Amino acid sequence: MRPRLDAATVLLAACPLMPAAACETAMDSSRIAVAGGSLTEIIYFLGAEERIVAVDTTSDFPDPKRFPSIGYVRALSAEGLLSMHPTLVLGEDDMGPPEAVAAMRRLGVPVVRVPEVHSALGILAKVRCVATVLNLAAEADALIEAKLSPMVKHLARLRTARSGRPKAAFLLGLRDGAPIGAGRGTSAHGLLSMALAENVLDSFKGWKPVSTEAMAVAAPDYIVVVERGVDAAGGAQRILAHPALRTTPAGRLPERRLIVMNGMATLGFGPRTLQSALRLASLLRAVAPAAATVAVGKEDDRE
Amino acid sequence: MNSNPALAPEVAVGRLLPARAMALALLAAALLGTLTLALAVGAMPMPFADILGDEAALQRRVFTGIRAPRVALAGLVGAVLAVSGAALQGLFRNPLADPGLIGVSSGAALGAVAMIVLGRGLLGGPLAVYALPLAAMLGAVLVTLFLWAFASRYGQFSIVTILLVGIALNALAAVGVGAFQYLSDDGQLRTLTFWMLGSFGRASWPTVWPAALAMAAAAAPLFFVARALDLLQLGESEAFHLGVAVKRLKRRVILCAAAAVGAGVALSGIIGFVGLVVPHLVRLLLGASHRWVLPGAALLGGALTVGADLLARTIAVPAEIPVSLVTSALGAPFFLWLIARVRP
Repeated sequence: MRPRLDAATVLLAACPLMPAAACETAMDSSRIAVAGGSLTEIIYFLGAEERIVAVDTTSDFPDPKRFPSIGYVRALSAEGLLSMHPTLVLGEDDMGPPEAVAAMRRLGVPVVRVPEVHSALGILAKVRCVATVLNLAAEADALIEAKLSPMVKHLARLRTARSGRPKAAFLLGLRDGAPIGAGRGTSAHGLLSMALAENVLDSFKGWKPVSTEAMAVAAPDYIVVVERGVDAAGGAQRILAHPALRTTPAGRLPERRLIVMNGMATLGFGPRTLQSALRLASLLRAVAPAAATVAVGKEDDRE
Repeated sequence: MNSNPALAPEVAVGRLLPARAMALALLAAALLGTLTLALAVGAMPMPFADILGDEAALQRRVFTGIRAPRVALAGLVGAVLAVSGAALQGLFRNPLADPGLIGVSSGAALGAVAMIVLGRGLLGGPLAVYALPLAAMLGAVLVTLFLWAFASRYGQFSIVTILLVGIALNALAAVGVGAFQYLSDDGQLRTLTFWMLGSFGRASWPTVWPAALAMAAAAAPLFFVARALDLLQLGESEAFHLGVAVKRLKRRVILCAAAAVGAGVALSGIIGFVGLVVPHLVRLLLGASHRWVLPGAALLGGALTVGADLLARTIAVPAEIPVSLVTSALGAPFFLWLIARVRP
């Protein structure tokens, strides 16, 4: 029995799809191919951007045109990526397809998949992980202390200071005529909770189309939409004109309750997400149920 | 030889053969040419010396581990799609027939999406590379088997019944795919979307070998029904009276096409328009006889798909674009041209 168990362990350990021990210092990080916008952002944050040789299409910050594109983070091309001769492939948790990742590993190119947790501490952990892989851990600690920790502490202070959580729904936009809302387990769910808001769409998991009736029941006081969704719908007015949104408390006071945010800055869970969460937290205030339609103007002058 | 007037009649009769043989040889040369080009060109610049040279060099490993299996898969899937399309068009005596009609594509999609959403545990394990293709192939074959069983039980397996049952099964499979899409989480949904778009980028030898054997074994019998398919063009009862076992022919063509295409798209995902357009192109070149159309379709289907994949992976280097975008962008306008040509 025992040897068989060992064989299984060896097989599992050798399996290319299992997450390799992430967050260990890479042998050689002089030429990095990056698959994931937040990772590119973090490498810039660490001041190591000269090591980047190629990025994916979600890496639009801070300099969208500087590096060759290796395609969408979920649809990488193994040969295209390897043609940039990277010594390290640094990828987001959802990098793929698995076959391409397996092919790169088989060919002996180190691939590191950076874990993602959708919280403020998760962002710090991600920055530390990338820093460790790039052998910049000491520098990173100072940078985090100076630039990121203050934001995390500010969010924590707000959390203890505020009573009541504003009710918000996060949308990607409209698809086939229905708003696509963020349920549990999405990055947007994590963002709303960082911004001290209650996700009113937490009755389902993942990104789902939300019916008019379900949206009316959820009754968000605020609606947060990503820029791209607003552009695709043809403007904020179009989104608000949607029957599912018009009837919500947020839809009745659109000038104050529709918040448009940049998708990658907000949902990438790199350093910028901390800023987005702070901005969102300052825009969102708990609305007393009875006062929802009357007293908003006064409330907004606080803090 | 032509100058000898005594031989002229025989030459005139036999002339069709050399012309067709020439065209077929031309198609074979085209396939060989695209294969060579596709092996030589890619995102990673690869001088000839590197391919044959140092085994440890990255170029050499990219060539044998990534590019070669990819080109092989593209060629095989293209050939199988085109041959199956040609055989099915012959069987249904309908120029619009393609492998999608008998439920192969939607069945494969259903199998794949079921595995993506339900088989989380399997997809993480050591046999992960096989789980998705096997599920897709199983889906393709099961849907087609059901079509066959249903159409023979309730409609004497007539062509009209097969077509109608095929439409109903495609709709049902689409419901299944939609339901799984709804159940899937964000990551699964995107995996699924990219699988459905089709790509040869997932090819690796451990999966291409078994798929190649399955495709070859399943597609081979199709080449032996060429004569029967020719007779079938006269009409079903006429073919029957000329000695064609019509029911057995239908069964063989449908099941072989389903298994062959299922094994192919299990790895590549759905590749648009090849199965529909290539047979028409080949008929233009070689005439309507299936003895010529089937091998011609295999050669041209392989060449076109390898070429389309070459474009897909080199247009946006180092990224790539979906191959179905290329095949459909080439196929759809050609189809319009075909229609315009027939009705001036």
